[in-house]
This record gives sequence, structure tokens and C-alpha cells, in this order.
Amino acid sequence: MSLWIGPMRVHLNGHKELTSHNEIVTVKPKGEVFIPLNVSMNHRAEVLVKEGDTVVVGTKLGIGPEPFAIPIYSPVSGVVGKVIQMMHPWLKPTDHLVIKDDGKYTFARSFDPIDIETADRETLVAMMKEAGLMGCGGAGFPTFMKYKNPQGIETLIINAVECEPYITADYRTMKEFLDDLVYGTRAMLKASTAKNAIIAIKKNKHELCTKLQALLVNTPEIKIFMTPDVYPMGWERTLVYEYSKKRYDRLPSEVGFIVNNATTAVSFAQALRQGKPIGEKIVTISGDGVKHPVNVRVPFGTKVSEIIEAIGGYSAEDVHIIAGGPMMGKTITTDQFVITSYANAITVLKAQKIDPLPCMRCGRCNDTCPACLLPVRINNAEEAKDLNLIEKLRADQCIECGLCSYICPSKIDVTEGVRRAKRALQLRKK
Amino acid sequence: MKFTYHVSPNIRQPLSTQRIMLELTLGILVVLGYNVGYYYFNFGLDYALHGAAMIATAVVTSIVVEVAWALFYKKNPLAYLKTSFPWVTALLYVGMMGINKPLYVIFLGSLVAIVFGKLVFGGFGQNVFNPAGVGRAFSVLTFGGFITKSVSDVVTGATPNAVMEKLGWVITDPAAVSKYLTQFNGLSGLWTGNYVGALGETNTLLILAVGVYLMLRKIIDWRVVMAFLVSLFGFATVIMLAEGMDWWYPFFFLSTGGVMFGAIFMITDPVTTPTSIPGRIIFAIGVALLTTLIRVKGNLPEGMIRSILFMNMMTPLIDRIMDGWPLKSFRKHLVAISSVALVGLLGVALTTTAIAYIPPYVAPEEKPTLGDLIKFTEVTQAGQISIVSSTQDGDVLTVIVKSDGYAVLEDEHSEDPQPNEIEIKLNTATQTIVSVKFTDFNDSRIKKNFIDHPDFLGQFEGVSYVDPEASVDVSVGATYSTESVIRAVVAAIDAALAQ
Ligand code: SF4
Ligand code: SF4
Repeated sequence: MSLWIGPMRVHLNGHKELTSHNEIVTVKPKGEVFIPLNVSMNHRAEVLVKEGDTVVVGTKLGIGPEPFAIPIYSPVSGVVGKVIQMMHPWLKPTDHLVIKDDGKYTFARSFDPIDIETADRETLVAMMKEAGLMGCGGAGFPTFMKYKNPQGIETLIINAVECEPYITADYRTMKEFLDDLVYGTRAMLKASTAKNAIIAIKKNKHELCTKLQALLVNTPEIKIFMTPDVYPMGWERTLVYEYSKKRYDRLPSEVGFIVNNATTAVSFAQALRQGKPIGEKIVTISGDGVKHPVNVRVPFGTKVSEIIEAIGGYSAEDVHIIAGGPMMGKTITTDQFVITSYANAITVLKAQKIDPLPCMRCGRCNDTCPACLLPVRINNAEEAKDLNLIEKLRADQCIECGLCSYICPSKIDVTEGVRRAKRALQLRKK
Repeated sequence: MKFTYHVSPNIRQPLSTQRIMLELTLGILVVLGYNVGYYYFNFGLDYALHGAAMIATAVVTSIVVEVAWALFYKKNPLAYLKTSFPWVTALLYVGMMGINKPLYVIFLGSLVAIVFGKLVFGGFGQNVFNPAGVGRAFSVLTFGGFITKSVSDVVTGATPNAVMEKLGWVITDPAAVSKYLTQFNGLSGLWTGNYVGALGETNTLLILAVGVYLMLRKIIDWRVVMAFLVSLFGFATVIMLAEGMDWWYPFFFLSTGGVMFGAIFMITDPVTTPTSIPGRIIFAIGVALLTTLIRVKGNLPEGMIRSILFMNMMTPLIDRIMDGWPLKSFRKHLVAISSVALVGLLGVALTTTAIAYIPPYVAPEEKPTLGDLIKFTEVTQAGQISIVSSTQDGDVLTVIVKSDGYAVLEDEHSEDPQPNEIEIKLNTATQTIVSVKFTDFNDSRIKKNFIDHPDFLGQFEGVSYVDPEASVDVSVGATYSTESVIRAVVAAIDAALAQ
């Protein structure tokens, strides 16, 4: 296959050593947290508390509209403040609910713990919804939707690949909560009706694998699957193909798979065992733009500027600050935004001026596109504003993984061109 | 604090276009440098200097032209050069030119390559045709006549393909094959470029080695090179089978006419080839097919560049056809590529049956040119004569005579000169000469066929040896040898008369 359409993936320098072994730093917000009220690109949650209410960790603050009826829980204890507008990592100014943090982190269970041995499948799925679990892909897809009507599911894939450079948050979360990972996986396996589960980890994570192996001796239905260290191994399609050599049209369930992130499994386990929704997060703050790259433990809603200050500040005057990893994460023109409940990293890179050269039609972007598209042709079609051709070239299939820009020797923003094409196509469809 | 916006992704791979062009430049320079060295060690400093001057002319011309262009369009010339890489075109162009080309030809060719091959299309990345190919084609068309002439003392023989062209691209006779190959120091000579030819094209093995390096470094796409070489080998094999030739043929096919130079440096030029992998493979097979057909059917030595330029023209079309979602068009592409390959094989097989009408090659004979009369009695040169044997058999007297020829009398360079040994048969009844032939020819500096040839020796037959006017025509350019034969004949006649 790769003979024909190229490798569809690339080994990247992960820079993971910056943060994979040093201690996790706990950062406390400076008095206030800001809870984003959007539950998807276009849906805003309804607020269930009033200004002046006293809340504790785990108090339900709001809930999204159907079908994104995802509850939002307070990550801190304190007093509810106003709703203000702030920048959101999805690059839109968004309503945020202010909570004045009293610094005590008083916790009250949001829901009752559930024993997975006795609970039935429906109860587990309901818990996923109740716990507010969301996929980690930028769009914030509610996890429970995948489990509502599972049909012909063979295998549950727990995705612990973490292929974006710099990010080690998943890795550190798993290491910290290995027990929860296994428990959460078992719960998801039950909820998914699949026969077995695999935990997909990059093959260079020996230590974690050995420990995990020891925990899995009594659960033969869960296996570890080692993947090569390439990008975008963590993308569902690439992962499913690597494991099964199968390709699918829209959803992995078509070929019998459900894919979930490892941290989601951990959060699920914590909800089931302790009645605790997502509150604190482990987030990687890395890149050559910060003095001391490190993983931090923070309540979500904490401002990024406060976190960076707490870990020693920036290492340059001019930086790109990226919500997420350097490949897919978006640069934001301010550090006045918060860690969301589904965030896992902030990457800060020294700003670099790139002088693109003309495209030399080398086709490297075509050879590496994991969606097997022809990015340079899409770019040409976009320049010519030829929407029919864009459609034929299937720009809609682009996952904006960034590989085409990454690989381009002329340093052209190929991905951006494809993005524009994709958007033009969406606009026409409307 | 400044938070600069940039669209994702925000990291880039280390390999840059500048780096690619740099490594490519070094790759070509290795090949050209080797050849300049080859000429120095085998033909002397003059050749090497001329080669170096050709390279310099091409590179300087290309840079000057682009600087002028940039200035004309009010651009910063240095910045323009850095993103335009004119010297790559210049080096490729000069690599395809023979060592005997005058510098003004190189100058004009580079000029055309840069201006009409590249700049008029909008510069780097925009050109349709391979600019070096354009320059080369221009040189061949305009200075075609000049191109085989020699510059000062730089003389060249015909290239392997030019000779092969005269042979009609098919030689089945083993003797002719070995004669052909030995001209170029055998198959290994062809592969190592041990003959005079274009400045960069001759040493196939070296180019291949540079190519392997470039492929490993991912500077050029190995799929294109492989697809091309494999299909060209395949087509040559078909011809070989159709014509009943031997395995030397496909290997010869791959080693001459700039095929390897084109495979590594020309068809891998990203700008003028399709952008998708299946597209590039079809492009490569297309060039191989056209090269083969132009060689055997068009019977021209210059297949490679024409084919590349033609396929360059097809590139937008191939790209168009390949547009879509390759993941889903896998089948379609497989069918497309296999049919191109199959049609190619069939086409070659069919046309090769048609090429057999060209008669098999016979090497032109070296014949004596006959000049003025020499009477037997008027031989001017003196030389030692000794009769080795003399036997009478009926009417026929056979005399074997040693007679000093050119080697003994005149050749200062000969270390151990020997006389010629000649057998003369006389009919003592009719007093005529029956035949004259060499039993040992030693005037090796004289072309043997000038003397030891029926055109010359046949003159003696039937000549009456008592006729005082008896004479033969001299073989032009071999007077000493001619006279050594006559003296031997006279000695034999004397022996017969003395009986
Ligand atoms: S960003 Fe889109 S077009 Fe570019 S490589 Fe990734 S999937 Fe392909
Ligand atoms: S990788 Fe860059 S230079 Fe090469 S074809 Fe794609 S866009 Fe053009």
C-alpha cells in the first residue's frame, strides 16, 4: 500500500523527554477560575446556579442542550460570580462563568459510585453522560454517544498513543492512575458489548507497559497493543488500520471498533469509584518557549497565564502559544484563556519567521497525508476556486493533522489551504 | 510579551527545498567532477580544462541571466537566486553536452534553458518543461551540425548510441556484437563510462551510486527511478527476445544515451512531473516507452530528452486524471499503470518485428586504393631479399621469399622489425604468375588490408614474367610494402629463369 500511496504517516521528533520524567507541579488558581459555557462549537450550556451561590467541587453548574446534554461540574469550591467573555481555545470569544475559589476544595459527590460487576450496561452508559465525559478531539464529542447503540462491536480500543509532539499528559495521567485505567477500561468494555479490549501504547513506553502487563494478568480480555512511534498514530483511522488493516467510511463502529482516549477511561473510573466528575487535570506545558517545561496538575478553568507564571514564565519575548500540541493545536494571540476540561496540553514555541518558497510540486504532502488526500492538488484547486474539483479531491476528509505543512520542504502552509478548501465546501453545502 | 499567530502546524520537518537543491547540486557535481578527472587522466589537461570551462560557462550564464531578470522586474537579485536555484538547471544542461562543444554553444544553451525553459513560465515551480532538457534540445536543433565536430584538439569518437543507430538497434551476429562492444571497452566500459561522450552522462554506475544516495536521503523519489529502469529493462528484454539477441542487450540499453543521468536527475525533477505517486509512475513508464520507441522505431540516438519533454507536456493531464481520493481509486490506478505498462510491452514487441528490415551491419572493409603504375623493372627501393624455399610441382614453381618492407626499411618505432614473407606461385610452362600471397605480414604500421588484399595481390595473377613492361598499380600509402612484394616477385621470377 505504502508503495502506492505513500507511507501516510511520519516519525516526528516528539521532544517528550522535556516533560515525561520530571515531577508534576501542582498549580492553584489565583482566586478565580473561569468555566467555559460552550459544550460544542455552536451550543452553549444553560447555567443552573446564580451569582452569589456557594458551590463545592462537584456541584453541577450547568448543562448543555440536547444532544450535547453534558453537565458541567465545578472544579473548585467557592462562590459563583458573573458570566464574562473570554477567549476560548476554539478561537472564539465565549461566555465563561466565574467562580471565586476559596482554596479549600471541599468535595461533595456529584453522583453515587457504581460497582461495575453488578451494574448493567445502560447504567454504565448513563454514568458516562452524567460524568460529562467528552472526547479529547477538538470538537468535544460526548463519549456516551458512541455507547448508546453499539452494534457488532468486536473490540474496544483504548487510545494511549499520544502521538502529538511535546505532550506527555496522557502518559503521566496513566502512570499516576494505572489502576483507574484498567478499571475504566473494564467498565467501557462492558458498556461497549465488545469481546475484548486493547490498550494501544507507543512501543517505546517500556516501563509503563511492564507495569500495565502486571495489572492485566487476571484480565485476559484486555491486551496491550504496541504501535510504532509515528504521527498520527493516535488518530482513530490510523490506529484502527494499524491494528486490523481495515479502513472505514465514517465511524470505526462500521468495522467493529469503539475508540476512546486513555484519560477518558481514567476519568470514567474515577466517576464510577468515587462519584467524582472531572475537576483536576494533568496538563503538559512544554516547548522551547517556556523556561521549565513540565506537567502541571490544575483545576480546569485555571488561566494559562497564571500557570505559566507559576512554572517560571516564558523563555522568549515573541512566542506562539498553542492550545494542544504543535501539529493540531491552534495558536492563540493571548494567554488569557483557560484550561478546558478536555485540554491536555499548552505548547509554547519561540516564534519563528518562515519564508515559504514556491511549491515545487514535489508531492511529498500527497505521499504523507494520513487521510490519503492530495493536499497540493487541493491547494491548487482552492487557488483556482474550483469547488467541484475540491469536492472531487475530497477536501472534506481532511482531519487537519498538519502533516502536509510539516513535511513540505518549501515550508508552505499547505494545511491552511486545505482548511480553506474544506470551509468553502462546507459553506456551499449550507 | 508578544503572542504571534500562525496557522497550525507550528513545527516543520528539517528537510527544506534549499537543502534538497544543495544535495542535488553536490550530486551532479560529483558526476561532472569525476568526468573532468576522467578526461584529465585519459586525454590530458586540455580536455579537463575545456570540461571545467563548459561547466563554469553554464553556471555563470544561468546566474547572470537570472540576476538580470530579477533586476528587470525590480526584485532583489540575491533573494531571487536563493529561491530559484538556476545553477541546478545549468549543471544538468552541461551534463548532457558532449565534451567537444564550443563554449558559445554552452552559453547559448544555458541562456535558452533559463529564459525559455523556466523564466518565461514564471520561474521556479511554474515551468512546464524540464529547463535543462529545453536547453539541450535547443543546442541539438541549432548546432546539430557543429556538435560532432571537434574543438581545437578535442576529438571524439561516435557515442555508443550514434554507432548503434547505424546498426539499426539490432545486432544478432555474435562477432558484430563483440565488435560493437569492444569499441567501448565492453559492457563494463559502457557502464563505467570508459569512452568519450557527454560531460555527465557516461559513467552509468557512478550516477546510479549518487542516485542511490539521493534516494536514501529522500531527495529524489525511488519509485520514479525504479519504475523507469524496470520498464526500460523490460522493453529492451522484449526486443531482445523478439530479435533473438542475448542478455547484453538490455544491459546495454540501460547504460547509454544518458538514460541513467535522465533517470536520476531529470525524470525526478519534481516541478515538471506529476504530483501523485501513481502519476509519477505512469510518467516514468511513459518516458521509458517513448525512449525505446524513439530509439528502435525512429532510429535516433537521442531518445531520452525528447521523451522527457514530451511527457512533461503530459504532466498536467496525468495530474488531472489522478485527481480524486487515492484511497478509493487504488484499483483505478492499478489498472491505469498496468495498462500503460502492457500497452508499452505490446507496442515495443510489435514495432520490433518491424525494425528487422534494416539489414544487419557489415563493417566497411578497408581496401587498398590503387595508384600509379610501377613497372617491375622500376622498383626504386632496395632491400634484403632471401629465398626461403623453392619447390617445383609439375608446371608450378612455388617460391617463398623474405623481403624487407616498411617495418625494416622505414619504421623507426618498431622494436624488432621483421621482413614480410611472401609465397609466389609461377607457371613455368606459360611463364606467368599464378598467385601471390602473404604467409607472414610484418609491416604492422601499414594497414594490413592495404596490401594483403585481393584488390592488390590479384593484379599479379596472369602477368607474364618475361614481359619487360610487367607492372602493377601501387597501393596508395603503402609504397614500401608494395615494393617489397614486387621485389619478392622479381626474385622468384629470377629463380625460375635461372632454372
Ligand atoms: S492536514 Fe489534511 S490534507 Fe494535510 S496531511 Fe493532514 S489530513 Fe492530509
Ligand atoms: S510538499 Fe510542498 S512543495 Fe511539495 S508538492 Fe506539497 S506543497 Fe508543493
